[in-house]
This record gives sequence, C-alpha cells and structure tokens, in this order.
Amino acid sequence: MRISRSGIVVLSLATIAAAVPVAAQDTVIIQNATVLTITKGTIENGSVLIHNGKIAEVGKNLKVPSGATVIDASGMFLSPGIIDCHSHIAVEDQVNEGSVAVSSMTGVGEALDPEDPDIYHDLAGGVTVANVLHGSANPIGGLNAVIKLRWGKDAHGLMFEGAPPGIKFALGENPKRSNFTPPPGIPPRYPQSRMGVIDVIRQAFVDAREYRKSWDDYRKRTAAGEKNIMPPRRDVKLDPLVEVLEGKRYVHSHAYRADEMIQLMRLAEEFGFRIRTFQHVLEGYRIAPEMAAHGVGGSTFSDWWGYKAEAYEAIPYNAAMMTQHGVIVSINSDSAEEARHLNLEAAKTMKYGGMDETQALSMVTINPAIQLGIDKRVGSIEPGKDADLVIYNHHPLSVYAVPQTVFIDGHIYFDRKKDLAARADVDKERKALLEKEKAAEKKSEDKKSDEKKPDEKKPEEKKAIEAQTPGAPTPDASKPAVAKPDAPNPDASKQAPPKPKPADSKKDYSKKEDQKSQPPEPPKPPVTAAPQGSQQ
Amino acid sequence: MPQRNLCRSAEILALSIWVLTIAALFIGPDAQAGEPRYFAITNARIVPVSGAVIESGTVVMAKGLIVSVGKSVSIPPEALVIDGKGMTVYPGLFDALTDLGLTSPAATAGGAHEGGGGPSPSRGPEDRPNTTTWTSAADELKADDKRLETWRNGGFTTAVTAPKVGLFPGQGAVIDLAGDRPGDLVVKPNASLHISLTPTGGFFGFPGSLIGVIAYVKQIYYDAAQDAQAQQIYAANPRGRERPRYDRALHAIEDATRDGRPVLLPAVTVPQILRAFDIASQLGIKPVLYGVTQGYAVADQIAAKKLSVLVNLKWPEKEKDADPDAEESLRTLRVRDRAPGTPAALEKAGVKFAFYSDGLTSTKDILKNAKKAIDAGLQRDAALRALTLSPAEIYGVADRLGSIETGKIANLVVTDGDLFEEKTKIKFVFVDGRKFEIHEPEKPKDPPKGTMTGKWKFNFNTPEGAQEATADLTMDTDGTLSGSIVHQYGTSTISSGYLSADKFSFSFSVNMPRPTDVIFSGTLDGNTAKGSLSAGDFSTEITGTRPGGRQVENQEGR
Amino acid sequence: MKSVNKLTASLLAGLFLLLFAGASTGQTQPSVLAIRGAKIYTLAGAPIEKGNIILRDGRIAAVGADAAIPAGAEIVDGAGLEVYPGLFDSSSQLGLTEIDSVAGTVDNAEMGDFNPQLNAATAIHPASEHIPVSRETGITHTVVMPGGGMIPGQATAIHLAGWTLEEMLVRKSVGLVLNWPQISTRSFDFATFSFKEKPYTDVKREQEKKVQELTDFFDRARHYQQAVEKGSAASYERDLKLEALIPVLKGELPVIVIAERAREIKGASEFCDKQKIRMILAGGTESYKVKDLLRQKNIPVILGPTLALPANEDDPYDRQFTLPAELQAAGIQFAISSQSISFMRRLPEYAGVAQAYGLSHDDALKAVTLNPAQIFGLSKDFGTIETGKIGNLIVTTGDPLEIRTVVRYLFINGRLTSTDNKHRQLYEKYRKRP
Repeated sequence: MRISRSGIVVLSLATIAAAVPVAAQDTVIIQNATVLTITKGTIENGSVLIHNGKIAEVGKNLKVPSGATVIDASGMFLSPGIIDCHSHIAVEDQVNEGSVAVSSMTGVGEALDPEDPDIYHDLAGGVTVANVLHGSANPIGGLNAVIKLRWGKDAHGLMFEGAPPGIKFALGENPKRSNFTPPPGIPPRYPQSRMGVIDVIRQAFVDAREYRKSWDDYRKRTAAGEKNIMPPRRDVKLDPLVEVLEGKRYVHSHAYRADEMIQLMRLAEEFGFRIRTFQHVLEGYRIAPEMAAHGVGGSTFSDWWGYKAEAYEAIPYNAAMMTQHGVIVSINSDSAEEARHLNLEAAKTMKYGGMDETQALSMVTINPAIQLGIDKRVGSIEPGKDADLVIYNHHPLSVYAVPQTVFIDGHIYFDRKKDLAARADVDKERKALLEKEKAAEKKSEDKKSDEKKPDEKKPEEKKAIEAQTPGAPTPDASKPAVAKPDAPNPDASKQAPPKPKPADSKKDYSKKEDQKSQPPEPPKPPVTAAPQGSQQ
Repeated sequence: MPQRNLCRSAEILALSIWVLTIAALFIGPDAQAGEPRYFAITNARIVPVSGAVIESGTVVMAKGLIVSVGKSVSIPPEALVIDGKGMTVYPGLFDALTDLGLTSPAATAGGAHEGGGGPSPSRGPEDRPNTTTWTSAADELKADDKRLETWRNGGFTTAVTAPKVGLFPGQGAVIDLAGDRPGDLVVKPNASLHISLTPTGGFFGFPGSLIGVIAYVKQIYYDAAQDAQAQQIYAANPRGRERPRYDRALHAIEDATRDGRPVLLPAVTVPQILRAFDIASQLGIKPVLYGVTQGYAVADQIAAKKLSVLVNLKWPEKEKDADPDAEESLRTLRVRDRAPGTPAALEKAGVKFAFYSDGLTSTKDILKNAKKAIDAGLQRDAALRALTLSPAEIYGVADRLGSIETGKIANLVVTDGDLFEEKTKIKFVFVDGRKFEIHEPEKPKDPPKGTMTGKWKFNFNTPEGAQEATADLTMDTDGTLSGSIVHQYGTSTISSGYLSADKFSFSFSVNMPRPTDVIFSGTLDGNTAKGSLSAGDFSTEITGTRPGGRQVENQEGR
Repeated sequence: MKSVNKLTASLLAGLFLLLFAGASTGQTQPSVLAIRGAKIYTLAGAPIEKGNIILRDGRIAAVGADAAIPAGAEIVDGAGLEVYPGLFDSSSQLGLTEIDSVAGTVDNAEMGDFNPQLNAATAIHPASEHIPVSRETGITHTVVMPGGGMIPGQATAIHLAGWTLEEMLVRKSVGLVLNWPQISTRSFDFATFSFKEKPYTDVKREQEKKVQELTDFFDRARHYQQAVEKGSAASYERDLKLEALIPVLKGELPVIVIAERAREIKGASEFCDKQKIRMILAGGTESYKVKDLLRQKNIPVILGPTLALPANEDDPYDRQFTLPAELQAAGIQFAISSQSISFMRRLPEYAGVAQAYGLSHDDALKAVTLNPAQIFGLSKDFGTIETGKIGNLIVTTGDPLEIRTVVRYLFINGRLTSTDNKHRQLYEKYRKRP
C-alpha cells in the first residue's frame, strides 16, 4: 500500500500513521481497492473519497481533489467497519449487577474504561462499532452503550453520539441461574424458572406503567396550578422501563430457546412495545416467521453450540434461515477475542445456509447497524456515511484476510505497519522505566548507607545513574501500539476491582470469553473444556 | 508520654481536691496540674504559609490560640519563652483524610457475603446497603488511639478523620490530634460526607458492581432531594396526607447538600477522575475528589471543573511479594513513574489540592512521599500548603487552622530545618496551644542482624484458644520497623518497633473494643521468631514464621 | 462399475442419511473404493494435478496420476475437487462431554491428583452428536485427552467414526497427560467476585510442594517397576496407578505436559529430563519464549487455538496468530489443535489464521495433518496420502483451511463416511416448516 499526497508528495504509510489522526478536515482518497459497499454492490478498482470524516464519494474513477491524501490500496479490499452487536469490552469492573432480578438502574455507559486493551485488540480486527451490553444475569439487565472504538479517546469520546439507547434483557438459564449454586447462606433468587423470568418482566412493566401514571398525574396537577403536591419518588430503575414503554429505548434480549422468545414478544406486544433484537437467538430458526412478524432482529453466534442445555439445538444455519424469512440478522461476538474475526464468522453463513458474499458481510456491517438504529451513519460504504472503513489484504470473507488499516470517522485508528513498527518502542520504554526504578531504589539504598557522609554523590556517579535510563522517553512521544498512556494503576482496585479477565490462569488462554453472563453462565465459554480446564 | 491533663482550663484545676482524685482514677498518674498555657517562641524562622516567611521572629500563644506573630512582637510576662534559634516554625501539619481515632465498624447489612449466618445480601437500593451516612466521626472518636500520638510525633497536629467502611461510611470531622476526651479533639464535626464507589455486595448482594454502585449513589441522592421536599410539604400540612417515610440515611445527604459541605468522591485513575465529573453533574454536587493518583494526566480538566482534590501520598509501588516473572504492563510502569508528578501538575494547573496519608503507616513516609512530589517538580511552599492551609480551606476551617496567623488555633510544628529534608528533626509540636515533646521512637541500640522485612505468621495461645496474627513488616537499614498486623480484632498499624542485633520489639494498638497496646518482642532466628506478647496484664508466648523467606534475599536472587 | 456424479452429491448425502443414520461406517460398503480424477495434495510431495486414489481394506492401495482403478471398485468422481489427508485434531475432549453444563453428560475428569491408570477410551461416547458435526469440516481423527488433577490419565487417539469405541480406536494410549503445576498469584474470589493477589512466595511454595509430590509419585513408580521386573509377584501388591506409569518410565509412552507460561515449560522440561521421560508440550502459549530449549530438547508442541487473545497486556495483538510461524522458523515441531469439543470444527480456521500471519500453506496444512501424526508416532498410518497409510481422506471443493470450502466426501478407515449430522438434520427439518 502506498499513500501519496496527490501529484506532489508520496508519503509512506508510516508517516501518515505517525500523524494519526489525520485531521478530519483533511480530504483522503483511497484508490484502486475492491470496494465492498455492501448496499451498492462491489466496485473493482474503486475509490472512496473521505471528507471531514464522512464518505464524500464512492466510484470507479474519482477525481482526486488537490491536496487530498491519496492511499493506494491496489490489490486490497475495502469494507465498511465491522459492527459487533454484542460486546462486553471497555467496562470497568463487572458487566453484571447480578444481585437483583431487575438491574435496569445500572448502565455500562457509566463505567466505560477507555483504556481496556481489548478495544485495541478488536479494533485491530476491523471492529469500529460495538454494542456494549450489560450481562445476562437478570431478566431485566442494565442499559447498553453503543461505542466507536476510538482508541485513545476518553469515555465520552468512545460514545457513538446519537445512537438510540438500549437495555439488556435475558431469558432462560442465565437469569434463572441454572448453572451455578450460590454459596451456603445465600437465599436463592427469584426467578428459578422460565415462568418466573417472564413474571419478573411483566411485574416490572406493570410497575413502570404505574410509575409513569403517578408522574403524569403529578405533572398534570402541577401544571394546573395545584400547590404542595407530594412529588412521586424518582426511581432510577423504572425510568428506563418507561422509555421502553414509550418506544424510546431498544430492548436487546439475550435468549436461546424458541419458546421463551415467543413469550417475550407476546409480552412486549401486550405492553405496546417491540423487542428490537434477540441476542444469541440460537433457536431463532424455529420461529423465524414469528420473529419477522414481530419485527425483531436476530443477533447470533456463527457456530457456537452444545455448551449448555439450551444451546444443544443451536445450528450454524441459524443466521441464514432467519435471513431467508426476512429477519434482519447479525453475527455477534460476546467476546473480545471472537470480535477480532467477525468477518470470518460471517463467512460461515455461506458454508452453512448458502448466503452470498454480500448477505454474509451484511451480517457484520449493515445489519447490526440497522439493529442498533445507526444505519444512517454506518454499516455500508455510501456517500454521507461516516468514514468507518477497513482495508484488508484479502477478501474479508477469506481466512487469510488481515486488516491493514482501520478508519473511524476518517481517522486512522489502527494501522498494521505502524503497529509492527511500534513494538520495539514498547519494549524499550518498559526496559527504561524498569531500569529507572531500579536506579532509584539503588540510590535510596546508597543514601541510607551513606547517611553519615553528608557529601553528595560525585558528579560522575550521578551521570552513571542517569545513563542507566537510556532515552527515558518523553511521556507521549512514542505512542506505542497497545499501551496507553496513564492506564489505571493496579492500586485502582481500591476504588474498583478489575474485571475478571482471563489473564494468567492457564486454562483461560484457550477459551473464549463469555462475559455475557458471568457467572450465571459458565465463567468459561461455550468452548468445551481444554484438558487442563477440566480441573474445575 | 506528653503531659496529660484532664482539664483544659486553669480555673477548673483550682477546684476541690476530690475532683482531681476522681480524675486520677480515670486517667492515671500522668495527669498533672500546672501545665503552661502561655508560650512565646522567639528568634525562630517562621513559615506562616498564609504570608511571607519571617526569617527571625516570634510567635506568641495563649490559651490555645496564636495571639501574635511577627518580627518583633511583645512577649507577655506570663509566657514561657522558648528560644527558637536554629528552629523553624510551621503551622501544624494537616492530614486531609484518615481514620485516626476511629475503630473500623463491621459492614452493615448488604455487605459482602461471608458464608452462612451473615446478613442477607441487599436486594436493591431500597435496602440502603452499606450506608451509614448518619455515622459521625466526631461521635465515634477514641482519644486514646495510639496513632494520634504517632501522627503528632511526625509533625501532624490536625486531621480529617472519617469512617471508612461502606458506600456511604458517614461524616468526617476535623480534629486536633491531642486531647483527653474525644470532645476535646473535635474542631469541626460533620465537616464532610464520604462516598466510596467500591462494590460491596459480592455477586449476590446489591451493589456487586461499579455500575450498581453508581446507580445506587444516584438513587439515594434523588431520594434525598425528594425527601427534603416531601417532609417540608408534610410538615406544613400533615392533615389528610400520607406521611413520608422516615429514612435516616437521607438526612446527612440533605444536610450536606443544604450546607454545601464537602462531599468526598473517590477517583484514582484517569477514567475514574473523568467519570467522577459525570457522577457529580448527575448528583448536582461539586465533590472533592480523593485519590487522584493519575491527576498528572488530567490536571487541566480538573482545573476547568474548579474542583478541589485530596492527593493520596501513597504512591503506587510494586507489589511486595509479586511474581518476579510476571510481566508488569507498560501502563502500570508509567503510572508508577508519573504518579509523584501529580501534585506538580495540579499546582501548575491551578487546582487546589491537599495531601493525605491513606495506607501509609509511618509519618516519615508521608513526608518522604511529599518529598518525592517535590523531586517531581512541586514547589516546596506548595507542598507545605497542601499539608496545612489547603486542607483547612477545603474543609472550611481556614478561619481557625492551616496557617500561623493571629487568632488561629495554636497548632504548630517546630523543626530544626526544612520540613522536607530527611535529616530534619521535629523538635516539638503544639496542639491547641499545648506543647508536646517529640518522642522519638525507641532507637535500636545495635545494628540489626538479619532482617524482619516480610510477611510473618505469629501463633499464640489465649484464653479464647489458639490464635494467629499475620504481620507485614518492613525494616529500615537501621533496624526500625513499620508495617501492619492483621489479628482477631482487625488490622493495626505498627506504631513503633525495631530490630536491635537479633532482638525485636514492636507495638501496636488493638481495639478490643477499648484500645489496648500490644507489644511483641523476642529473638529473631532466620525465618523464625520466638518471644512473647504483652497486652495490659496479659502475656503469652509467641512463635513467628516467615513462610516467604527473607524478602531481601528474594530480591537479590532475581 | 458404479459411478458417483458430483452433481448428485446432495442426493448422495440423503442416501447416506438413510444408510448411516446415527453412526457412520457402513459394513455394506465394497472393500475397494476409488477417487477418480481429483487434484491430490499428498503432502508427501508436489500435488498431483489429476490423479486417482485406490482404497482397499481401509488403506491407501495406490495413489498417482495413473493409479489403475480396479474392476468392481466404487468410484467417487473427483473431477474439479481436491483431496487432502483427513484433518487430525491433536488435542480434544471429543466424546467425553456432550453438554458442558449438564453434569450427567460430563465424563472428562476424575477426582484426585494422580490418576495415570485412567484412559479416555473408557468413557468416549461413540454416539456423541459432536462427532459427526466435527466431521463436517474435514476432521477424521483426534487425540482425546482427559483432564483434572495433576495426572488426569492417558490420552486416546480415535477415528471420528465407528459404531463402537473398538471401531473408532486408533491407539488406546498415545501419551500420559500431565497438568504441570503452575505458579499463579492471581486467583478469583467468588464471594467478593474479584481477583485476589496472593504472595508469590506462598504460591511458589505450594507449587514446589506439588512438584515434590509428583517426583515422589514417579519415584514410587520406579521402585514399583523394579519390584515388578526383578522381584517375585508375591513380594509386591499390584498397584494400578503405579503400573500405569511403567510405560512412561520405560520411554515407551510420552507425557503430554500441559503448560502455558515459559517458567512452567522450563520447569516441566527439567522434570522430564530428570525423570528421563519423553515430553510433548501441550498448550505452550509462551513457547515463543523458550524456543531454544524446545529445539535443543527436541520437544514437540501441540498448540491450542491460534484465535486467542494475547496473554500479557503488552504483547502484540497478534501474539498467538504468529506463534506457529515463529515455531516453524525456529525448527520446532508443532501441531495446532482445538482443545475443544464443540469448537473442534474450527480447527481448519486455526491453521488458516496461522497461514494469514506467516506460516506457509504447506506448513499450515501439515500442522493439522502430518505434524501431529509424527508427534504421536502415528505417521506410518496418518498424515499424508501415500500408499499403505490408513484411508482417512477428505475430498473438498477447495482449500480445506478456507471457511467456505465444503467437504464433499470424507473417508475414514478407507470407507466413505457421511458428514451428515444433527445440525444439518435440524436445518432440513425446520426449513420445511410451513
């Protein structure tokens, strides 16, 4: 790949990347790529013109505006950024408030951790947008946050501005806590059955209706000039449910079995709202016509199955079968690892169920965008949309595809060449800091033993100590690939414990995460235990 | 021991002899009459903090207050004159967040589950989990907490002390670090309201997550606002109305909001600090952030919000007994490197900040760590201000504390040099105008043989049966010991200790529930220690083992 | 001479459904099968652009551009198709667990630390739905490893077809699994639902204690071996656990050491050296840190899925993607495995990703065919398409590592074996829903 400033200078990609982010005002043109627009066909030798972070033009022989940065993507494939409709990255501490059956008072957006390395991991896999969800420990869970993977920005900078708000629900084994037993002394939590799950949800909406009515009355009477009326209590738990009733908040419901999904759709219809998506929806293939009629989207795994009873009839044809019935279908990750190859997961719908390339790619681009209500902004390569793009070296549906460059809002947030180049810097800085610490320790030891000699160190010695910290890098000069400046320090755990993340327990390496449901769901994934994992 | 006095005024001392007799029964033989109440320190270098340094001047104190200060002020005849030549007088140091004088209460309902028989986990915000807003540090003080003296010996005369346990542990008090009865210590009760964001529920109790805690904090604030309004409406016209529910958890919040009391909100990392801004705006409060370890990266943003902060002087360090092969991440290393630069960054950005000692067990370390901030670019006078006038301003007591000015409380620390130099010795402190000689912790007579540093298990028998205590000790090169010890009654800070040749001794105070001094002493032999413990009249044999082996050797072995 | 047209493949699949519903090897098949006119990737030399393979009595009788098709052979038309050795998943728990969360279906681990006498073969469930599902992406044989405790038991190599375990069996014992004790200062505390740090010296001591227990156990076995070989039967009591270690001590059976971190790998290697036993490393997340050791000691590595997050925060994001290419470049023998059951069908992708990040196509294919066969001493029968080897083959529409590729025909033990499975059946059933 070669980048040039039109007509005048040819810049190496590294140079451009070093200037990340490309100023949004800048005009960038990506040329000679196979452009997979998703909604408007595939353009061989196509170009995409980016202006002010938006896609300005898409076509075959676009004129290069003067001053535009030219990126030559010969032999490369350009796709829209991958959208992950089910993620748990970038959250400090737990994604579950698992204590209560209804945890709608919580919101993952309030605890975003913009320094979570998984943001970068997923970005490097081509993901530009993620629907960060509360876990599935409760029939009604917490509020979601749709984020863009703008690595390096703060929590506000991650938020997908204008994305419709949502809330997580969960049905089945996780909310009824089938797969773990609370320690002795802990009373079991209602619900313990699918009957109870639906009951909890119904009760919550009955409460929400009452609550809304009490506020409506209060407002009406106050507006009519009545004085000294007792104000109703504001309830953080019920506020979002009122929004659901009013159609202002999407319901993304974790669900596996067909029957429980039908129950939830009917309950929603009874209360006058619609379920926006079923998440996982492993048995969606059994009730695709009902789903289509309700208008619910299906966001599913590519080929996960067999890890619990309600996943035993999951089939990889699910996505294709729902699609064939007119359901909008996406393939999601539920795991920081799985998110890195959602393009490959999408490809499985071609093998299992005969989707064509565009249908397959739609499941990780335009379809999740529709499900999240952000399809006017992202999900395809069309003029006017956000320039969230991925350059691949092979067709993204090939196992050999490696994301080369990832753009969000026209800025380069990931570039493989730059990442490779920065690796040595990370090592260098680590070494320098470790040596600096050692030198400081030594100095204070020396000082202690020298306490009786008030004279300071000889200048030579001083120099020697300084020399031990080679190129002590200025704070942010060498922006390393993954390490972010000023990440949470380990002591931060005082304020908030780290979220459990498989880091050094050996059995964790081999496993996919399944944070959707810690711990109701197996702390470990659907992956059947690796040999060493079965020690549990 | 400093002279202790039951009574603060000479007039009362003149009362009949039976009063003294009764008093003696309570406070023992230390109590003495005739303690001077009028002092003048002359020829000293005076650092008032509120104004220019007086190279050679006089401070006059009378009955607990500073009555004059300057180059040449008249010395009242009744004053005890101290020649301050070669001495420097500072305002007494102010530790902006501690739990001095307090014992840790057990967690209330809704706390982390501890196995059968414990309290049931909280089911939601309505159960007010781990909320004791009504607990006032001023009402829970114990004047005989050993640590008051330890802190005083380090130059601290003033502190904010606050309950620690729970999401809303209670209200802090500004206290002076000397006094016979708890009430003598209190300068300002209910000086602050404290919030913690650490989940308390485990997985099964609410809140078990950060998102749950944030939701809870919001809910209780909304409830407080509604309650204030509802109580008012009801009080005005109760007839025919359903009465609002009484909820003691809300009152302190309502009071703090109404009186504009500082609300302390924790924020250590950059995301946490920025998140605190959001929480504050949702609650409609202007909090005082505490922790702020990574303030160096967002000092400007804190300044823009016009927030004051309390900086934790316990800079992040490598775990003591960490896996030598574990790879510490670059961001961890960076934080360790840059954290001491936080105060300098805050100073530059114009943020008001004070220092606090949370987690540090020796006052020497507090000043040593303040010096690290100075080494990282903080001006000396700014460091001093963060330990004197700034905390006084943050807690609204700058009209009586924090600087050497006429009319303020006579809290002073007198040294033989610059406060932040390691060789500087603290000569004495004045608390409420009472002079306290500094009791240097007992110095080891001989250089230590071996090291006590490491994690120790001590076993001993008591009338209640066999017990175990685990001590995390650190030994200085001269044999001085510091650290903490976990025992049946909780965790205590080692107040003093040493290893002299192979003889060790260290002491700490245990609340059982009355504070009691416990002394461990004996002989060190490699990784074992044998000797005895004494606590009041009780004593018994102890054996200690250090399972990890010698810390120092481990490090050298890398 | 019957002929199977590739256009009637789906019809054929339906036929197989009838013939081999449930398990899969048909007793009624003719003893001679021929694949005709396919491109053959033998992995034993350059691909044969257009050739035939003759399968007789379960083995490859002939392969080549001009291998003659005997009369009476059933012919599979390979025109336009490609033939590869069947894929070998070198570490799985296939058949030991059906549904993770349903205890009644889980047989992958026993209690106790030392169970060398256990053998996976004694619990593999031939009717597991996972077996035909995994065949769909071309996996024909696997090594099933038990888990649990320090010595969970012996690993078994099986074919992914057979009415009974006997029919499935390749070799009952291919190695003794050893979970090398690790030092981990971090542990998860369920009560507070957070991680707790333990002092290093404590966990190190615990680990050393475990290694000592392991050493003692081996010493006892050695003594037992001596008693068995030199003493009289009356002088010792039979001990199944110790007896099971004898083949390991004799060097007849390797230990499959599961270790991830460099320190643990080094520790395990020292142990195996001291005990003079043959080591196969499994897991090996940080094997890139001990390349010299692995090469010097000739320790082969059975890697887990390449699709894994980096273990350390500062590791490159593609740390595990590039690992196979690094081991290849260092001259270390390795295989790629699924370490799974329900994700076994992802095995080809794991190799494909290794290729995307630097491994050659040939080496990527070998990582899931020839290499594991060599590591387990099974290359006489498996790993390439050569005369005399067992007829485990796949006939595909293209590159078997590519996700879209379809396995058109699959042969196990020289028999045409259905790739139909529970998933396809549910698909067929519900697509017909009115």
